[in-house]
Amino acid sequence: MYYDLHIHSCLSPCADDDMTPNNICNMAYLKGLDVIAITDHNSCLNLPAFDLCAKNVGIKLLYGCELQTIEEVHVLGLFQTLAEAMSMQIWIDHKLRNTEFDPAYFGNELQRNEKDEVILELKNLLIISLDATIEETIDAIHLHHGAAILAHAVGRTNSICMQLGFIPKDLKYDAIEVKKKEDMSYIKKTHPWISDENTLWLMNSDAHRLVDISEKTHFISEEMLGKLWLHKV
Amino acid sequence: MNIQDCINETHWQCDTPSLDLNKKISGAYVGDLLSWVMGRGNAGNAWITVQVHVNVLAVAVLREFSCVIVADNAAVTEEFIHKAAEEGLVILESKIPSYETAVKLHELGI
Repeated sequence: MYYDLHIHSCLSPCADDDMTPNNICNMAYLKGLDVIAITDHNSCLNLPAFDLCAKNVGIKLLYGCELQTIEEVHVLGLFQTLAEAMSMQIWIDHKLRNTEFDPAYFGNELQRNEKDEVILELKNLLIISLDATIEETIDAIHLHHGAAILAHAVGRTNSICMQLGFIPKDLKYDAIEVKKKEDMSYIKKTHPWISDENTLWLMNSDAHRLVDISEKTHFISEEMLGKLWLHKV
Repeated sequence: MNIQDCINETHWQCDTPSLDLNKKISGAYVGDLLSWVMGRGNAGNAWITVQVHVNVLAVAVLREFSCVIVADNAAVTEEFIHKAAEEGLVILESKIPSYETAVKLHELGI
């Protein structure tokens, strides 16, 4: 299956307003992707619309979010059902401080329906840290039957290697997301306990604009994809 | 100045009282981005930070810092203190912001 499991919708303030359910699902379909995940910053609120659109278009959807921990590390939570993701949303609501923001500066946070109509403009900023450590966040993802992925693990901003220096040995993540092959080599070189045998690597787009959604480049077998959730409680 | 002198002057909380507090503090370093601190700061420095993830301990040991001063009421966990004690790393809590913590050390001649 050709995949892109890290795509932001118009709910993320930093994403384009035209990252709508229909635009993203159709763009992914046109590009020949088989499975995508929508992963907005600290929110699952656009997933109901994406659920309907993905079904209409005939593309597999994973229900996701990109959580920012108190250490300012980004972790993807990927769920296999809409219900699991929406129950994760309740946990997020408990952990997200209400912070008003200026959309003119940060960008809009648009919740849309399956017709791409705006049904809500969020008033609280989504791109802040949750009141939860990285360990608590990963535990919460697992508790809601999700898979926890270390997002852009060696990136310059909000990556685990930047914020925490290195990946803790006993951290219970399910996959590591990297931007390029060299990042995998870097992680393996600096973390002798991490190898291809015990690690699931993902390469996603982290698209904030339609044009940035992955081409038909990154492949994962259905069996390997299923392994993401083997650690669930 | 050693750690015990610093505690006497500031009355900052020491979370690891069983450890050797006679270690000298030579200078200080302030930073919360662990990848950044890993390549900076000198042996014997007191490290002022609001980061309280256990990776802090590994970085502090790597850089041979004399102690870690947790600033601004960042929430230190029991696991953090327990592991610090195991590593022989002194943890102080200043309860005031990083800048004010650094200024206080400066006033003490560090």
